Amino acid sequence: MTHVVRAFLAYLRAAIGVMFQYRGEILLWAIWGLINPAVLYAMWSSAAEGNPGGEAAGFTRGQFAAYYFIIMIVGHLATAWDVYEMGYMIRTGKLSPLLLRPILPIWKSLAENVAYKIATLLFVVPMWCIFAWLVTPTFDTAMWQFGLGAAAVLLAAALNFILGYVVSLVAFWVTKLDALGEVYFGLGMFLGGRFAPLDALPEPVRWIADGLPFRWMFAFPAELLMGRITSQTEALAGIGIQAAWIVCIIVAFKILWTVAVKRHAAVSG
Amino acid sequence: MMLFARVSVQNIAAYRFDLVVRIGVSLMHIAAELLGVWIIFTNTQTLKGWQWQHMLVLVGVYRIIAGGIRMSIVPNMRKVLEEIREGTLDFVLLRPVNAQLLVSIREFVVWRVADVLIGMAVAAVGCVELIGHIPVVSALIFSLMLAAGFVIVYSVWLMLATLCFWFVRIQNIEMVFWNVFEAGRFPIVIYRPWVQWLLTFVVPLAFITTFPAGALLGDPATQIPVMAPVYAVGMAMVLLLLSGWFWRFGLRHYSGASA
Amino acid sequence: MYSCRMPQSLPDNTMAHIEIDNLSKTFRVPEREGGFRASIRSIFRRKFREVRAVDHVSLSVEAGEIVGFLGPNGAGKTTTLKMLSGLLHPTSGSARVLGHIPWRRESAYLRKISMLMGQRQQMQWDLPVLDSFLVHGAVYGISRQDYRKTLDQLVELLDLGDVLKKQVRTLSLGERMKCEICVSLLHRPEVLFLDEPTIGVDITMQARIREFIANYNRQQGATIILTSHYMADVTALCKRIIVIDHGRLLFDGVLSDLSERLAPFKVIKIDLTKELDGYDFAVLGHVLARDGRKVVLRVPKGEAAAITARLLTDLPVLDLTIEDPPIEDVIERAFANRLEQVDDGTNAPAPDGKGAGS
Repeated sequence: MTHVVRAFLAYLRAAIGVMFQYRGEILLWAIWGLINPAVLYAMWSSAAEGNPGGEAAGFTRGQFAAYYFIIMIVGHLATAWDVYEMGYMIRTGKLSPLLLRPILPIWKSLAENVAYKIATLLFVVPMWCIFAWLVTPTFDTAMWQFGLGAAAVLLAAALNFILGYVVSLVAFWVTKLDALGEVYFGLGMFLGGRFAPLDALPEPVRWIADGLPFRWMFAFPAELLMGRITSQTEALAGIGIQAAWIVCIIVAFKILWTVAVKRHAAVSG
Repeated sequence: MMLFARVSVQNIAAYRFDLVVRIGVSLMHIAAELLGVWIIFTNTQTLKGWQWQHMLVLVGVYRIIAGGIRMSIVPNMRKVLEEIREGTLDFVLLRPVNAQLLVSIREFVVWRVADVLIGMAVAAVGCVELIGHIPVVSALIFSLMLAAGFVIVYSVWLMLATLCFWFVRIQNIEMVFWNVFEAGRFPIVIYRPWVQWLLTFVVPLAFITTFPAGALLGDPATQIPVMAPVYAVGMAMVLLLLSGWFWRFGLRHYSGASA
Repeated sequence: MYSCRMPQSLPDNTMAHIEIDNLSKTFRVPEREGGFRASIRSIFRRKFREVRAVDHVSLSVEAGEIVGFLGPNGAGKTTTLKMLSGLLHPTSGSARVLGHIPWRRESAYLRKISMLMGQRQQMQWDLPVLDSFLVHGAVYGISRQDYRKTLDQLVELLDLGDVLKKQVRTLSLGERMKCEICVSLLHRPEVLFLDEPTIGVDITMQARIREFIANYNRQQGATIILTSHYMADVTALCKRIIVIDHGRLLFDGVLSDLSERLAPFKVIKIDLTKELDGYDFAVLGHVLARDGRKVVLRVPKGEAAAITARLLTDLPVLDLTIEDPPIEDVIERAFANRLEQVDDGTNAPAPDGKGAGS
């Protein structure tokens, strides 16, 4: 166990070093995560303004601001790119050296993921603050909602990572599927409450969204932190569901990984 | 240019199945964008005066421009960036053709024209839904403004690519463009006045997406300036000259001729 | 140094270090004709071609041996190594290395082996060399003392002192090769798989790498399996040679035996005092080269002495040498022989695409 921890920390240190070298590129990637929610906020606030009650989908302008402020944070902390990378790693044979090592490649991916978030922190946090200052969000958050919400954000980040990784394993079977990442991303956008709060979705879509993990990766922490979920039971149940999804997907990972590696043709590049 | 296009087509013909898949992905994108419009307009009637028909046209314009960029600008720019990084730009400079011209037209991704066609179809539908037909004059002005918008996009990309003479390591500098372009998915009227000003005069995003869309519709609800076509052409010419000058400046730096 | 968990297969000291029994690996390579129709059809019904990359190979290797795998491209050398290192699952057959089943990929097993693939990079491109070493140490669970000790030894042996603080991307190819070798030995593996270790490297560096490998084998007693194109690698390092072609084991034994069996010839080089026309060399043996006063003749081993005597009597000879045929010729004949012997239609060429068999 300590062996894995030691290896993970070593990977983390190395990855932060690399991130720092590429800070220009890293920041450009991070900027999308700032612009997209800001644009969507502007759009939804115009939508709310266009309605007689000043609300759209049950959100006022201020509430939209709060929602997208948190989505901005959650979206950034939930960044995971394995679903795009895995196919590339397999095709170019870059995965093989990682398979020779006595620990799973997922630890390296996790380290790089965490390193990205650490490396970008100094830049994105001020940006978040500026956004909040500009849009003046309306928060109705009690202490307990804040506490549970923080936990929800962490769980959402973990869920994002592990689900992304498991989905990326498809690349072991279909190496040419570049569209996989985009489909996955699109699902997260619509069914996760990033493009629009889930209340804005028509009934049948809403129903589908409730059954999938995406809701718990974005919409749930956002709704909780802005104070929209008023029932403690509901909030705790949500946290429970997040944890349950994480556990299920970890189990799926263990099963699928062994099968996937068998399929690995160890292509040399 | 035709030669490059023909070679690209021949390459693609060898991978026809891939072509089908790629077009499928393009359709997927437009479906997602249309789904977005649908979701918005089940929750509201208007975005600061823009209704769903107007939005359809804007979605179409966005796709046309994005498709056009990926068809010709992106592949060329990526190649130039790679050459700058690897130091092989010299081969280009040795050719008896103007360097800027050569690096701008030698790569061509033909199948992306699908995006352009899809975008045009969607824009046409939006226009027809609003006014029942597509007025010839509007269509002409639309084409003019699309062309102007495209020239503006090209100039911006050229300037971004030129920056790589100094920032060699930042290979994903194209992200700067895509990040800002995101804001063009919606009409600029949804933003605050100072942001609108920014997106018109500092970063001419309005000329690329909102104004052409408005031109096709000719509807005052879209709130685009009457003189927009004139401004657009003017902006295009200015930026073209500016970017060309900047490129030559960058080239001199690359060859070590300037400080 | 190893974890407290019992490994699933206990190492048995009486067993050979590496035991391979009827190991086979077949790849299914999709086949498709060109054209639009065929593309559509291929969505519904895919046609596959079976490529036997490794075909019932059996052998065993004792601890401390250096074994050379020889064979042309696509012969199955790299595929075999990949199975032994756990990267690939075999289609059938079994193998045990250090008592473990490689493709179970047990952590304890992976810590005892190392694989060096000539083109592959194990190091972080953008960081100093030492950082990559540190990561490797952590990943392999090497204790700090062992790490320090081994690192110092390797740095000295490979002359890496100046290179440690440099970024990997700034290293020359030779320096990078040395670092790759160093990093793959940091955890003191008991078994080393070297896949084309000297490819793309200049002559001096090749010699140094060979020297290093020989030293390492002597000092650490590590078992080494080496594949190569370069005969020089094999002749310099390996007493035992295994020849593979089309996935089948053609020869397993000592290098001199190989010559003996497959190419029982001697090469006679004659330098005459003056040009000579009209002498029929072809009747004595195969004329390999003829250039004015110099003639190179290949004759059957047993007749070499007699033919030499004859030449010395018949001709005005300035200089005469008798040599063994170049090893490349020997190997070439081995493959040529193979194709003649077994023409049962299993001439499956190497699969196309990026080296699924080699």
